[in-house]
Amino acid sequence: MSTLIEVRDLKVAYGRTLALDGVDLTLDEGVAGLFGPNGSGKSTLLRVLAGLLRPSSGTVRAFGSSVSMKDESLRGRIGYVGHRGGLYGRLTVMENLEMFARLHGVNQTRAEVVTEQLGLDARRDTPVMSLSAGYRRRAAVARALLHEPELLLLDEPYANLDDEAADLVSAAVVAWRRPGRVAVIATHGAKKVKAYADAGLILQHGHLLKQGTYTAAGFTE
Amino acid sequence: MSTSSGFLSKTATLVSKDLRVELRGRDTLPPMVAFAVTVSLLLAFAAPAPAELNEPVSLPIGTVAFVDVAAAFFWITILFAGLIGFARTFEVERDDGAVDALLLIPLDRSGLFLAKAAANLAFILVVQAVLLPTFALLFHFDLGADWAALMLVVLLVDIGFASIGTLFASLAAQTRSRELVLPILALPALVPLFIGAFELTSDLLAGDGLDAIAARGWFGIIVAFDVIFSIASALVFEFVIDA
Repeated sequence: MSTLIEVRDLKVAYGRTLALDGVDLTLDEGVAGLFGPNGSGKSTLLRVLAGLLRPSSGTVRAFGSSVSMKDESLRGRIGYVGHRGGLYGRLTVMENLEMFARLHGVNQTRAEVVTEQLGLDARRDTPVMSLSAGYRRRAAVARALLHEPELLLLDEPYANLDDEAADLVSAAVVAWRRPGRVAVIATHGAKKVKAYADAGLILQHGHLLKQGTYTAAGFTE
Repeated sequence: MSTSSGFLSKTATLVSKDLRVELRGRDTLPPMVAFAVTVSLLLAFAAPAPAELNEPVSLPIGTVAFVDVAAAFFWITILFAGLIGFARTFEVERDDGAVDALLLIPLDRSGLFLAKAAANLAFILVVQAVLLPTFALLFHFDLGADWAALMLVVLLVDIGFASIGTLFASLAAQTRSRELVLPILALPALVPLFIGAFELTSDLLAGDGLDAIAARGWFGIIVAFDVIFSIASALVFEFVIDA
């Protein structure tokens, strides 16, 4: 397996606060769970990997190139869901998905596929602003999976989800998994991600405390 | 790299999104139109139109034809109504947390700029569709005299206004007091455009035709302003939005 994500001595500062302090990590294809307490730097790391946040220092490479917002082709290979869903509240679920499908240059049938995967059929014509928090989360994950990204970054995808909905999200990520693709899923619900993750990352106070892989024998550093 | 058809179709998709969101939410146009109509009524009370548009009126700076004053009233009303709308350029993304999703679209940043500027241009045109007849009624304009020439001038001024307004709105959107920052940034840059707008509009309303105003220096200045600032704004936008 080749290294798809490579982070070296990554530091991100918000004013005088260091959110990430010298993070080094490499990720191969597969799904990595990103764990850690509140304020450990999980969301910051995902934003840096997506190119949405410029690091204070250090290097971040994805698929062999330096991650940069200026790289239009790299942007199209990333699927990202942050704390907020990134969907337009006044548009329906399907209008949002069809619009993002057009913007990513993928077939409109993909909107139907992800709608079904995430169990959104009954809400397809509902404006996003009228959805419950759980349905919004599912719609946000559907948007991120729409263009079959090679780098999938999900920040708390299980927030506000009941068990049934959480299973749908997990199944959608598992169905997305292919050789050459890598996902980083930040969550407090470690149990849900560990069920299918290939690797695990534990952040604490901006430092990468542990990195390892999940095997039949358990977690190996 | 996007093909040009991909670029245009994605840009058109973004414009259609902004117009659809506005049609459903009506967050931007009603305040712009309400402001414009209210100000035009106040101006009509403050400076009632004489029987003849070319009649001279005395101002502290000297005597001018009333048509000059009326043209200035019209464009100043449009200027501030426009700034009210432009301040909301990125509010829909901010409200819905969609900025990140928008930034990750594989589309050149100039496409994002073009889409936002086109939506702002559409909003300004709607305000003018209401304001022109209102002004015609209140200030005795004859819109039919050289309607096509007036529309050409309006469109040329609007293109420059929407370009500059959208660029500075993207800059102001990154500040907390964006409604205050936008006019401070945009007004100095818009001064030459709006002086040209006053001059050409008053000439048209005074009875000059398209041939006459096309030969005026201000016409060329407005065209040059549109070309230079539209291209420059589209290029600079990338640095502003990715900052």
